[in-house]
Amino acid sequence: MTTTIELEVKGLNFYYSGKTQALKNINLPIYSRQVTALIGPSGCGKTTLLRCFNRMHDLYPGNMYEGEILHEGRNILSNENDLIRLRSRIGMVFQKPTPFPMTIFDNIAYGLKLKGIKKRAELAERVEKALKHAALWNEAKDKLNASAYDLSGGQQQRLVIARALAVEPDVLLFDEPTSALDPISTGKIEELIMHLKNEVTIIIVTHNMQQAARISDMTGFMMLGDLVEFDHTQKIFTAPSEKLTEDYITGRFG
Amino acid sequence: MKRKNPFDLSFSLLTAAASATVLLLMAGIFIILVKESSLSIEKFGIYKFITTVDWDPVKEIFGAATSIYGTFVTTLIAMLIAIPTAIGIAIFVTEAAPNFLKGPIGSAIELLAAIPSIIYGMWGLFTLAPLMSRYIEPSLQKAFGDVPVLNILFQGTPMGIDILTASLILSIMIIPFTASISRDSFNLTPAVVKESAYAMGATKWEVIKNIVLPYSKLGVFGGIALSLGRALGETMAVAFVLGNKHHITASLLDPASTITVTLANEFTEADTDLYLSSLFYLALVLFILSFVVLAVAKFFLLRAERRYSR
Repeated sequence: MTTTIELEVKGLNFYYSGKTQALKNINLPIYSRQVTALIGPSGCGKTTLLRCFNRMHDLYPGNMYEGEILHEGRNILSNENDLIRLRSRIGMVFQKPTPFPMTIFDNIAYGLKLKGIKKRAELAERVEKALKHAALWNEAKDKLNASAYDLSGGQQQRLVIARALAVEPDVLLFDEPTSALDPISTGKIEELIMHLKNEVTIIIVTHNMQQAARISDMTGFMMLGDLVEFDHTQKIFTAPSEKLTEDYITGRFG
Repeated sequence: MKRKNPFDLSFSLLTAAASATVLLLMAGIFIILVKESSLSIEKFGIYKFITTVDWDPVKEIFGAATSIYGTFVTTLIAMLIAIPTAIGIAIFVTEAAPNFLKGPIGSAIELLAAIPSIIYGMWGLFTLAPLMSRYIEPSLQKAFGDVPVLNILFQGTPMGIDILTASLILSIMIIPFTASISRDSFNLTPAVVKESAYAMGATKWEVIKNIVLPYSKLGVFGGIALSLGRALGETMAVAFVLGNKHHITASLLDPASTITVTLANEFTEADTDLYLSSLFYLALVLFILSFVVLAVAKFFLLRAERRYSR
């Protein structure tokens, strides 16, 4: 497989305020235009790791990073890094759908407006493109001016994905994006993720091992803040090198 | 149907009776107000009562216009001062303040709301009014004395016992109330929605403006309406610094009267049946006014809760 590295995590330690170490010396590459899944039991640090990539931990005082995450030759974790710019390059989708209290159109246009794009025609064009991308255009095109809350849960989650896509990020972070959805909506989101990897690099945290096996190219298994094993998804699920990984994926714990 | 346990049954009857008391009291007060004011209602009618500017116990002409005007003007100015200040406080406490300050400031605001209004009134009379007449009001006159329209608002002798001082006291009294309800509404905004705005690259101010304020606007509106109800009915603090004069004036430096102040000051002097009846009539007007305002507030608060509790 010919691959370039989009993000490289080097010797990452992370401490929540109050000195609890949540990540211990994490090293892993995130390959460009692939889906990387992070799995592991609750509290293993997979969401914590995900939130390092867009520096979400900075919203709460007292959290501390050590080590590096390299993106385009620069260290994301450096104090000089411009977080506003970083977050427009690396988007995020959360567990629960998080539409903003505004219309469908304004939700999608939000990131573009933050970037200073004001022309109505350009906004309309990019909103349409993003909605088509997120496979929501046919359902939403007649009610762009309706409140985003009028959409169903699954549609809201695709709206949030479209909102993240509209600013054309390099990387999309998914934090258990289907855990609040029914199986049909989940299927649509999974299909979408597999489709999107042609354009963006995707990192997904999931509790659902079948989901990781279905949609990811690379999988990292984490436990108690350690990255136990990182390899091709097929290998992790068929012939893991570590005993812990095998025990977890065969359901012996977790 | 399942047979009810006799203890459960009597307990629920007891609580139902307690709740019914509230409605009975409410109806009772309303009926008494109507009954006691019937003499005045017959004499002046509704329209004439609320539009008559004279309040003359000697000639027995009673009109509510001056008191209603005073009530509205003091409330309006108080709200103009209080709303921006209170929302500013709420934004600071929920979004901007460091964690170690959030608790203490929040408690201080709530304690401020617990100070009895007569204490505000005394402070207003002995401290604020002299300050107003000596420093603030003369400088307002100096600043706006030559500006057309605005100079009308600041005519007259700056005595300190006037509409402006009363409004200021009133605003200080309702700020804690509005601020703590606004803070609670802001806190209803789910953290994950704010996080996803930050994850789009929004700044703190953009998150407050685009996410927190729209999310909580119904709650804030309800809080404002509740403070409005409180400002309309406030008596003691205003009675100390408003001067109790029945006239309609454009100048904020003139004394005036509100419904509550009239009631508090004049019940002991009401020597004729019509005088007494007219005071009850005034009370009835305030009762209906406050009732409507609070009903509107409750409606908005309920809608806010229902919309975002999903």
